[in-house]
Amino acid sequence: MKILIIEDEPAIANSIIEYMTPNAIICESAATAKEAMEKIELYNYDCILLDLMLPDGDGFEILRELRMLQKTDGVIIISAKETLDTRIEGLQLGADDYLTKPFHLSELLVRIQALIRRKNFSGNNIISFHEISVDILSKSVSVNNTKLDVTKKEIDLLLFLIGNQGKVLSKGAIAEHLSGDMADMLDNHDFVYAHIKNLKKKLAKAGSADYIKTVYGLGYKWSDE
Amino acid sequence: MNKKLLNITTRSFLRYSVIILIICAPLFYFMSHWLYVYETDEILSFHKKAFVENELHNGNFSEKDIEVWNKYNRDVEIVPDTGVQKDSIFGTIYFDPFANESEPFRELWAPIEINGKRYTYIEKNNLVEMEDMVYTVAFMFLLIILILMLGIIFLSNRLAKNLWGPFYDTLSQIRSFEIDKDTKPHFQNTGIEEFNQLNTSLDRLIEKNTAIYKNQREFVENAAHELQTPLALFQTKLDNLSQAENLTKDQFEILESLNNDVSRLNRLNKNLLLLSKIDNEAYFEKESVSVNNYINKHLDFFIEQANSKHITVNTQLSHELTLTANPILTEVLINNLFLNAIRHNVKNGSITITTGTNSLTFSNTGNGSSLDEEKLFNRFSKSDPSSPGNGLGLAIIKRITEVNNWQIEYQFNNNSHSFAIKF
Repeated sequence: MKILIIEDEPAIANSIIEYMTPNAIICESAATAKEAMEKIELYNYDCILLDLMLPDGDGFEILRELRMLQKTDGVIIISAKETLDTRIEGLQLGADDYLTKPFHLSELLVRIQALIRRKNFSGNNIISFHEISVDILSKSVSVNNTKLDVTKKEIDLLLFLIGNQGKVLSKGAIAEHLSGDMADMLDNHDFVYAHIKNLKKKLAKAGSADYIKTVYGLGYKWSDE
Repeated sequence: MNKKLLNITTRSFLRYSVIILIICAPLFYFMSHWLYVYETDEILSFHKKAFVENELHNGNFSEKDIEVWNKYNRDVEIVPDTGVQKDSIFGTIYFDPFANESEPFRELWAPIEINGKRYTYIEKNNLVEMEDMVYTVAFMFLLIILILMLGIIFLSNRLAKNLWGPFYDTLSQIRSFEIDKDTKPHFQNTGIEEFNQLNTSLDRLIEKNTAIYKNQREFVENAAHELQTPLALFQTKLDNLSQAENLTKDQFEILESLNNDVSRLNRLNKNLLLLSKIDNEAYFEKESVSVNNYINKHLDFFIEQANSKHITVNTQLSHELTLTANPILTEVLINNLFLNAIRHNVKNGSITITTGTNSLTFSNTGNGSSLDEEKLFNRFSKSDPSSPGNGLGLAIIKRITEVNNWQIEYQFNNNSHSFAIKF
């Protein structure tokens, strides 16, 4: 998977690159609209991360340009300026997703994965990890081909963990992912523990190995080590 | 009770004139009485002087004329010497058989000499009756008071309409003025210096405050926006730092607390942005919103949040509540009420949500006492300084009710805090 990060703040671009690279995502970055356009014209990307405020122009220009070039690259807008209008305008101009700064890198990673899955119409709706497989369309989880009785939140949690495999995820990041729009208001992340516990129990009961590692004090990590 | 300015001046004018008139009435009476008596006395003296000069000095009045004189003069009488040495005038009362009442008189006794023999000249003059005069004066003064009162009331009413008109106009304009709305009052030229001064001062005050308010609003929004980028940097770097290998237990703990801090900062910033967006009327589009649907849809999420603090949630949603409002703001309002009820609850407490025909009430158990209603909805006001909230939740709730013209009421009884929104 190859992505282009169009972001004028180099420290943010570098952080994204640092996080994504170990998870098999090849990153390139552009700090200006001009640089970004050159790269878009030359190469194809699976996903473009687009900051709307660029020193030499507006991110919407790039969206229009992509349309003119009839490029099908997926676009996730990452912007500090979030109003309903910019969100709607962005999506109308062909962006696929919108993520407001600040965000967790783990959230960005699963959004990129989800976008790429949607863009590649290969008919592959199954995400698997060793004996575990998750069917995105039918929203079901099976271990060694035995279906599990899991809640929607638990599937969501499982996908978030597998998508961020090998990464340490803070309780806050998991809580924000699970609570969606409500995340901005939550000040208590204790409910994450209950979900993790239930998911662990259900997976173990179905005969799966224990991939959810508790990282002391901080959170959890999905790993087969 | 406050009085109207005009009423106060009218009343004091009236009071003053009545007092003056009441004091003046007896004064006027005594003055005119004294003058009357003085004039009467003078007339008596003139008559006597004329008698002495005309009759006596000409020498055509002799002793035998006395009888005839006395017979035909009703008011003047010449009697043998009574021993008075000089002219003396005094008041006396005689019974008048015709009028059948006593009448006041002034009477002059003077010594005269007719053909070398001493006599006493007596002349009396009828005075107006005291009673009649008192009545006349009193009636006259009452009439004056009445006319004066009616005049003052009439004048002040007219003044209220004309003279104070521009003032009341200014008053109603500043009363309807709200600093967060774009409508500014337009004062008309009144042609009266004081009012014009008032209006120009108000204009200046409003302009200055509006400018400051606008600046402040923009500042908050800009500051919050500008903070997003450093916050994003902070957040992403922390995410990467957490991936570092060989971290010690202590370092994990520091990372966790940093994570909490950054998400707290984030929440604070998002809430500030939300508030300034509401202030800037970014959410003006309204549509039909079902409160029941929204609560039922997200109840699981809230119950989950509540259960992690061992709080039970009861709902009484028998009334269907549908509003015409901005859906995003309505959701923010309900979320904030819910999370507020969870946050300020006690262990093993409960939350009750009730919909009424036109109201939505969130009640939660809580410890301690009633909250200070004055400060409750202020930004950054926290009843418990150690609570993890940022003190903006209730301010946001209040602001949303304000922009929609809803009412919010807070009540505390039986260890239960309740917030009721009346739509």
